[in-house]
Amino acid sequence: MDDYLVGVLSNIGIISFVALSAYVLLLAGEMSFGQQAFFAIGAYAAGIGTAMMRWSLAPALLLGAMVGALAATALGRATLRLSGLYFAIATLAFAEMVRIVFELCTWQIDIGGTLVGPKGTDGFGDIRYLFENEITPAQYLCAIYLLLALVLAAFMVVDRSRFGRALRQAGADPVLAELQGVRVVRVRLVAAAAAGALGGLGGGLYAHLLTYVEPRNFDIMLGVHSLAYGLIGGLGTAIGPVVGVLIDIGLLESSRLFVGYRMMVFGGLVALLLIVRPRGLLDERAVHWITTRVRDLIDAATARRRDHPLRRP
Amino acid sequence: MLDVVDVATSYGKIEALKGVSLGVAKGRVTCLLGPNGAGKSTLMFTIAGILKPRRGSIRLDGDEITGLSSAKIVARGLALVPENRLVFPQMSVKENLAAGAYQRRDAPGIAEDVERMYSRFPRLAERRDQLAGTLSGGEQQMLAVARALMSRPRVLLMDEPSLGLAPMMVEEVFRIVADLNREGVTIFLVEQNAHMALKVAHHFYLLEQGLVTFSGEPGKLAEDEVIQRAYLGSRRAEA
Amino acid sequence: MTKLAIDLVQNTLDGVMVGSSYALLALGFTLIFGTMRRLNLAYGPTIMAGAYLGTYAFLHLGFGAFPVAVLVLIGAALAGLYVERLCFRPFAQTAAMASMVSSFAVWMQIEEAASLALPRHLNAFPALVSGSLQLGPFFVRLDHLLMLAVAASATLLVHWALYRTRFGLGIRTVIDHRHAAALVGVPVTRILLLAFVLASTVGGLAGFLIAASEAQITPMFGMWATTKGLIAMMLGGLGSVPGALVGGLALGIIEAQAQWLLGPHLRDLVAWGLLFAVLALWPGGLMGAAGVDEAAAVQRRV
Repeated sequence: MDDYLVGVLSNIGIISFVALSAYVLLLAGEMSFGQQAFFAIGAYAAGIGTAMMRWSLAPALLLGAMVGALAATALGRATLRLSGLYFAIATLAFAEMVRIVFELCTWQIDIGGTLVGPKGTDGFGDIRYLFENEITPAQYLCAIYLLLALVLAAFMVVDRSRFGRALRQAGADPVLAELQGVRVVRVRLVAAAAAGALGGLGGGLYAHLLTYVEPRNFDIMLGVHSLAYGLIGGLGTAIGPVVGVLIDIGLLESSRLFVGYRMMVFGGLVALLLIVRPRGLLDERAVHWITTRVRDLIDAATARRRDHPLRRP
Repeated sequence: MLDVVDVATSYGKIEALKGVSLGVAKGRVTCLLGPNGAGKSTLMFTIAGILKPRRGSIRLDGDEITGLSSAKIVARGLALVPENRLVFPQMSVKENLAAGAYQRRDAPGIAEDVERMYSRFPRLAERRDQLAGTLSGGEQQMLAVARALMSRPRVLLMDEPSLGLAPMMVEEVFRIVADLNREGVTIFLVEQNAHMALKVAHHFYLLEQGLVTFSGEPGKLAEDEVIQRAYLGSRRAEA
Repeated sequence: MTKLAIDLVQNTLDGVMVGSSYALLALGFTLIFGTMRRLNLAYGPTIMAGAYLGTYAFLHLGFGAFPVAVLVLIGAALAGLYVERLCFRPFAQTAAMASMVSSFAVWMQIEEAASLALPRHLNAFPALVSGSLQLGPFFVRLDHLLMLAVAASATLLVHWALYRTRFGLGIRTVIDHRHAAALVGVPVTRILLLAFVLASTVGGLAGFLIAASEAQITPMFGMWATTKGLIAMMLGGLGSVPGALVGGLALGIIEAQAQWLLGPHLRDLVAWGLLFAVLALWPGGLMGAAGVDEAAAVQRRV
């Protein structure tokens, strides 16, 4: 597999985490333009973990996820009274504040002769854990997708659980949900924490892939993109946001077509797609259609087996 | 004056009106009764141009108005006083009336009509600078009627004007309906309060599940059965 | 007068002038939000499209400041028309998020188109007047003064249009209660389009004034204009026309003081922090309490 493809696929996998982060909140009925803040927080935290505290990768990624979750819960608490557009703008304001704080903060320590650590607008470089431990890009790619697969599996499981139902109820109609016994506040905070953790985890992975991050990476564009991916790929399933990322980064970034005016084409396609499918490609109806077809196929197969002459009654 | 022929309107896949035909005679009060969910408001919105019918035709004084935009229909002389009043809450009474005359360009005529509304509805005159959202239910109903009248409609549609009003206000509303009609306004009235409505109506229709099931004049036919079906729907619905 | 007092007043003066442009930006934004009930993320970029059209004419066709201004307005209006048709008109009242994401997609389109048309990062823009006026211990840039005068006139004009014309009545009914507006005979679709174009033109004027006072334009202008307009609008209250003025001026003044006290980075931090605080504490903004629940209820139907 050539390096370029590995790079693109790794990128897709990592950005999927931010997309899923925004998606969790969408399920809870909230639109966030600020998930890039947790991506940034996770990146810096995990980078500090490996490059400065000399931890190994797994605990550092966990640190990133946890700090992301904590920050998200704090934000969630502060914005409990807000919903809709007000919430969205508040998350945007928060993300920009986080980004500016990273632009202002410098914390470097001496590791074997060189200064390592975040340095304001210059960013945070020398996050070389992968090189130092001879992890190849292909191996890292597998790790990324393993984590992603676990996350998607978790989504599937949670979707069927009581919490998943409560989440969707709270998202669809909070007043009604409250009347039906759903603790909407609790649900929203848990969703916020989960989203923060996902963003933080993605950020940690991102920092190690690039070995260098700067505050500029975590701007409004990333935030709005993350939200857009869910809407393009479809809100009916957790795979939707991943599909959205795939379409943007996969199809367009790596295709040699439209070089120079790629964004114009992509923008136009997205706008047209949304007119036809306002809830994305894999919207709730499409997912329902697919699952019923699959269920029919399974029923047909098992029914046939039941009628098999050699089967004992 | 207003002829509705075989109008069918759907919300997505749900057929709310399945082929409604009725007529509103000039200078008279025609009433549409029916249980909740029968499609009365849907019919009103279709006639007013808010909804587009899937088939059928609507004619105002012989002119086809089916499928026209609501703005054009108001210009042609048909105004709707909607269910729940729908006044402009952040605008004053005066501005609400001005909005009602949006399709008119004759400023002196509009000013004259505003004064006429103030004398017909003194309570509105008292509150002319008050925000419509702060008026009481009855006052909002009067404002909604006055606003609709500002367009000098040939036919006035009224959707459940007595809804949510105290009994005294309900009587007031029907008195206004009768007064307007006496002055020559053609009125097509949708009502839940069948008892009061039949007192002012010259002709009525019963709408059940998207179809007209009864047509007649008050006092001539079995009103009790009609009123019962208007409130509860016919037994056929449960079959 | 003490040095501190002089500085504070000077900052306030500067802030009011810059704030007048912010107010115009917020005014356009709020007109769109008031009528559409959703956020136009392509707002700044449509202004930038107009500004780039003007810059192109300035650099390649030698147009002067006034013709450039006209071109900027036309460009912004046309770009606004494009956005309204593609991103807002096709969406029913419940697909709010789709239209916002769609406007974001167009944002990307316009940014790229601008970079293609004028590939350099920094592009010269015609300046208006140069020099400053001295009033006692205070200095006032002449072009800033002009900016204030034009912005104030434009605001008055918009106010006149909204409250003294039939068109304005139509817009206000649509803002107040779209359904009822249709019932009284207001041509809602047409009003929405015209309001959008008006808003884009007002934004275009703001864009021209700002670019002229900086004498340059960069591709970052789109995002910058959206951010400033957004913050100013939210400070004053979503969907509130007087709020746009209050919010714009407040933002201008606070930014001027913050920059003087803390430097440019912290200035931006203060702006965002202020917005966050206002949202967390008074979601309705400094002026518009009524807007909160309705907007929230509408947005919930995402």
